[in-house]
Amino acid sequence: MSRERYDRMGWKNKLFDAVNAGFLLVLMLTMIIPLLNVAALAFSSGMASMRPDIILFPKQFSTEGFRIVWNSLDLWLPFRNSVVVTVTGTTLHVLLSSLAGYVLIHPHLPGKKIMVTFVLLTMMIPQDVVMIPLYVVNKELHLINTLNALVLSGLVSGFSILLMRNFFLSVPYEMAESAQIDGAGAFRIFSTMYMRLATAGLATVTLFEFVSRWNNFSSALLFINNTAKYTLQIALKAMIIDTSNTSGTYLVTTNVRMAGILITIIPLIAIYPFVQRFFMRGILLGANKE
Amino acid sequence: MLYLMMVPVVAYFILFAYYPLVKGLQVSFQDYRLMGNRPYIGFHNFETVLHDPMFWRSFWNTLWIGAGIMICGFLAPLILALSLNEVLQNWYKKTAQMILYIPHLLSWVVVGGIWIFLLSPDTGLVNLLLVKLTGHSPIHFLSQESWARSIMIGSAVWKDMGYNCILFLAGIVGINPSLYEAARMDGATRWQQVRFVTVPQLMNTMKVVILLNTMGIFRIFDQVFVMRNPAIARKVDVLMMYTYQKGIMEIRIGVAAAASFFVVLFTLLITMAVRKLTRFDEV
Repeated sequence: MSRERYDRMGWKNKLFDAVNAGFLLVLMLTMIIPLLNVAALAFSSGMASMRPDIILFPKQFSTEGFRIVWNSLDLWLPFRNSVVVTVTGTTLHVLLSSLAGYVLIHPHLPGKKIMVTFVLLTMMIPQDVVMIPLYVVNKELHLINTLNALVLSGLVSGFSILLMRNFFLSVPYEMAESAQIDGAGAFRIFSTMYMRLATAGLATVTLFEFVSRWNNFSSALLFINNTAKYTLQIALKAMIIDTSNTSGTYLVTTNVRMAGILITIIPLIAIYPFVQRFFMRGILLGANKE
Repeated sequence: MLYLMMVPVVAYFILFAYYPLVKGLQVSFQDYRLMGNRPYIGFHNFETVLHDPMFWRSFWNTLWIGAGIMICGFLAPLILALSLNEVLQNWYKKTAQMILYIPHLLSWVVVGGIWIFLLSPDTGLVNLLLVKLTGHSPIHFLSQESWARSIMIGSAVWKDMGYNCILFLAGIVGINPSLYEAARMDGATRWQQVRFVTVPQLMNTMKVVILLNTMGIFRIFDQVFVMRNPAIARKVDVLMMYTYQKGIMEIRIGVAAAASFFVVLFTLLITMAVRKLTRFDEV
């Protein structure tokens, strides 16, 4: 009796597993196929890419699309702007967030409560309300149409400060205290001890910031309207999407569009292995705050 | 020294977080012009917004699309997490998680661009399959009002499913293993274990995800900005789109600032309502 039940459960178990694995496979395919489709089209010739029969493999393999989008449509310029904004912005963001995070780990610092509240309150300010005023502020500071406006937007965030603070808190405070007794200044303790010991935290914040800056669309839309200062996302929107709705003066073939999309994705794919390692923990730390 | 290290951050927050908030409040009571004088006009901007049918249309669009994303964007990752949790082969689980997370990493310009193309009537993959498999004639997905909202919801769920699923998976990891042991002792099948142990134990995580999704409803912007077109604008233009159009396109900054305060008010109200409904505080 009991053996019979066990057997039936084994059979049922196998079916359960197979259905489950199949379900996940279908879901995965809905993610993979569109991306492969984009790649296949990007590596096809202009003529072939306009015909509706390319699914997973390129037809008339060519890199023409990349050459056109990069050289003729000048995607290199927004690409360069995006790199500049992302790299400087991320570096400064990580530095400033770490500095503030470090200050906030000191248990007996007078005024610490006020500073923590000050930081926490910025996280409560809804981005939707400040979108228009931010435009006004940037206008007042003559930052409209400069890349500086994009570097400055989100230069530091309460989220990153708290995240760094959490990572710093896992460094034993006694170490800092003994270094202090040995005569090391606050900044030295920060740069030689904390920044080295909390590399996982630095990596997490860096990756978060890199991805969100690379993908940033609304700030660039708000602050930039000069094509020379376009970032990749804005340029992509203008040349890839807007031209597909209206028939513009020139024909942008599908392979050119898809090449543009691929170029935008490549830096993200390049850092994906690191994302896997650090993101998950970061997301969970962030979600705990809520 | 420590205070000195805090100075740049404090300065930044004052200039780019607190000052804009105050400025926004001020501007919403002004007839704000880029040049010349800016007279205070009382609640006039707020009245303009409330009497604007475009505003209310955007409001309902936001609610429809937001509710869709909230419900589907809650169920899909939940099912996904439960399914991933049942996978016994670790490599398959890892691979699946890795692949399902990819769309979240891409910007809406990229994701929107890909979907606009996939859904296009003559060369898009979706229509290609539709025609080949069912013989149906191609559907003009993105120029039909009847499809517009579903597509916004579907693509948003597609993009963020892998991300929200991580929160659920973390919740599942935290479930006490002895509960499963007890269930197995009582002869529970795997389905019953999922149904009577995992799901009830995930209640708190579910509440967090619902609340996070709720707060995102009124923030939808990039997606709609990228995927909209004149044919479907009436059905998909959301409140942030309205604010952007008023403030940046029409340069009626006072009106736009007033509208954004309404957006925040709605966010607060709906968040409070959801907190009540899910009994969030009775954890």
